[in-house]
Amino acid sequence: MLAGLPRLGLGLGLRSVHFDAILSGERQDLWFEAISENFMDSGGRPRAIIRAIAERYPVVLHGVSLSIGSTDPLDRAYLASLKRLADEVRPAWVSDHLCWTGVGGHNSHDLLPMPLTEESLSHVAARVRQVQDVLERPLILENPSSYVRFAQSTMDEPAFLRALADRTGCGLLLDVNNVYVSCFNAGTDPVAYLDAFPCDRVVQMHLAGHQDFGTHLIDTHDRPVRPEVWELFRIAWARTGGASTLLEWDDHIPGFDDCLTELRKAEGYMAGEALPFAAGGAAPCQEAISNPVGFIVPRAMDMLEDAA
Amino acid sequence: MIALTAAQRQMHGALVDPAGRAAQALFATDGRLGPAEGLAVYQRGYFLRIAACMREQFPALCHALGRTLFDDFVADYIRDCPPERHTLYDLGRRFPEWMEANRPDPQAREAWVDFMIDLARFEYSVFTMFDAEGNEGRPFATADTDDAALRLQPAFALGSYGFPVAGYYHAVRRSEAPLLPLPAPCHIALVRSDYVTRTVPLSEPQHGFLAAMLAGSGVEAALANVSARYGLDSGEVDRMWRGAQGSRERWIEWNFFVAAIV
Repeated sequence: MLAGLPRLGLGLGLRSVHFDAILSGERQDLWFEAISENFMDSGGRPRAIIRAIAERYPVVLHGVSLSIGSTDPLDRAYLASLKRLADEVRPAWVSDHLCWTGVGGHNSHDLLPMPLTEESLSHVAARVRQVQDVLERPLILENPSSYVRFAQSTMDEPAFLRALADRTGCGLLLDVNNVYVSCFNAGTDPVAYLDAFPCDRVVQMHLAGHQDFGTHLIDTHDRPVRPEVWELFRIAWARTGGASTLLEWDDHIPGFDDCLTELRKAEGYMAGEALPFAAGGAAPCQEAISNPVGFIVPRAMDMLEDAA
Repeated sequence: MIALTAAQRQMHGALVDPAGRAAQALFATDGRLGPAEGLAVYQRGYFLRIAACMREQFPALCHALGRTLFDDFVADYIRDCPPERHTLYDLGRRFPEWMEANRPDPQAREAWVDFMIDLARFEYSVFTMFDAEGNEGRPFATADTDDAALRLQPAFALGSYGFPVAGYYHAVRRSEAPLLPLPAPCHIALVRSDYVTRTVPLSEPQHGFLAAMLAGSGVEAALANVSARYGLDSGEVDRMWRGAQGSRERWIEWNFFVAAIV
């Protein structure tokens, strides 16, 4: 199922602050990853924008609310809405995370980690099959950033994802920044993680920035990619045979051109160059949020006129 | 699936009630980040993430209350009303009603509390209108459209408030520092075209007319409704609608209406 998926090169997370720059500028050699939930229930401008962008660029859909690991029933209305959007936009693929976002009818709006057990594997595999049946396409699942590991886990994340891909035919989204963040927080070796990862299943990679608190890292997506992550990317790029690569920037989002400049740094690492490490980046801030989602909420105030 | 369900319920419980420490026992202790510290990242993130989204949905209310008090309200709100739906757009849906049910002045109602609740209602209406189903890409009614064919377009809403909330909201939007307004009845239409929402102040009869149309009446029946309800004769009502200072021309220009096939 994965063989027909394209290699898209370098792409950027589609954010509302860039809509005008994307649609008014020259077409570039680029693709975009749209947050599914930003567009799937939209009857307003976001839906029109995603249609227009999908006419000009390759687009993939990336979800944050599928909650594939939750023990709550799959949200059929959510899946139906996602399917409608996918049928309309015709993304190269649809992805989400190996996580759960809530339980008992509540939603944390966070990407919460799974106990990595045989029980979880069977549960998630069954749900991936259901989702793939509804969407009529393979699901691509991402390794999340994590700050705890369940004591009851009986396998590591690469082994879990390998088994999941084998059982379901799903593809994988390798977030290199998440590998670095999770391994740092767990005190494990990120290169060993990559060594164990089923790179032949990787359809896409993510790059992003994180904040370093000394004792731990938080996956904030609010700054440039750290040198250590670029180095992991260099290794991962070669091992995945050049999987489509995307930069996420979700908080304190710079202008479109600045994001492109950060993204194009990847080209040096794709060429296999071991580039000199830059200095360490901005200081961490108190209110650091892992996987920020504020950018998903539109600024309705900006689209208003006063007829008084 | 018993173990998985239990683990998820326990971890989620620790997010909603950060005082609960039992969930720490779920996690491995051999990492660089210990169970308590790791869980705390999720607990902090749960509140900060939702508070950030609520500030995006209620920017004027946040301005009016100040960020500290606004965040305090949000913390209490999500404790009582944890998010239920997958969409972040739904976060603020129950906030005005929650504020009313949890007002700090239950014994002697104070005007500033009423204003904050009204402002929350107004802001959520504006937020909802941003992404509502609309009529973009399709034709609107024109001045030549017969009254019998006029129907309100889909991206249209009405609101009645005890304070001039729209004026306050627009002042915040212009980065001004408005004072809290005095009570004054206020009727507002929200209408969206070309993805821009316009706030339109209405008189009470105008509000009554549009409310009748929103309920399904045609123009003629809505005018008759206004005439009966406000004791206006047919000449006054007709002037209000199509006179030199009437609403018809301006509302058609502002894309209130589509033309139905009759």
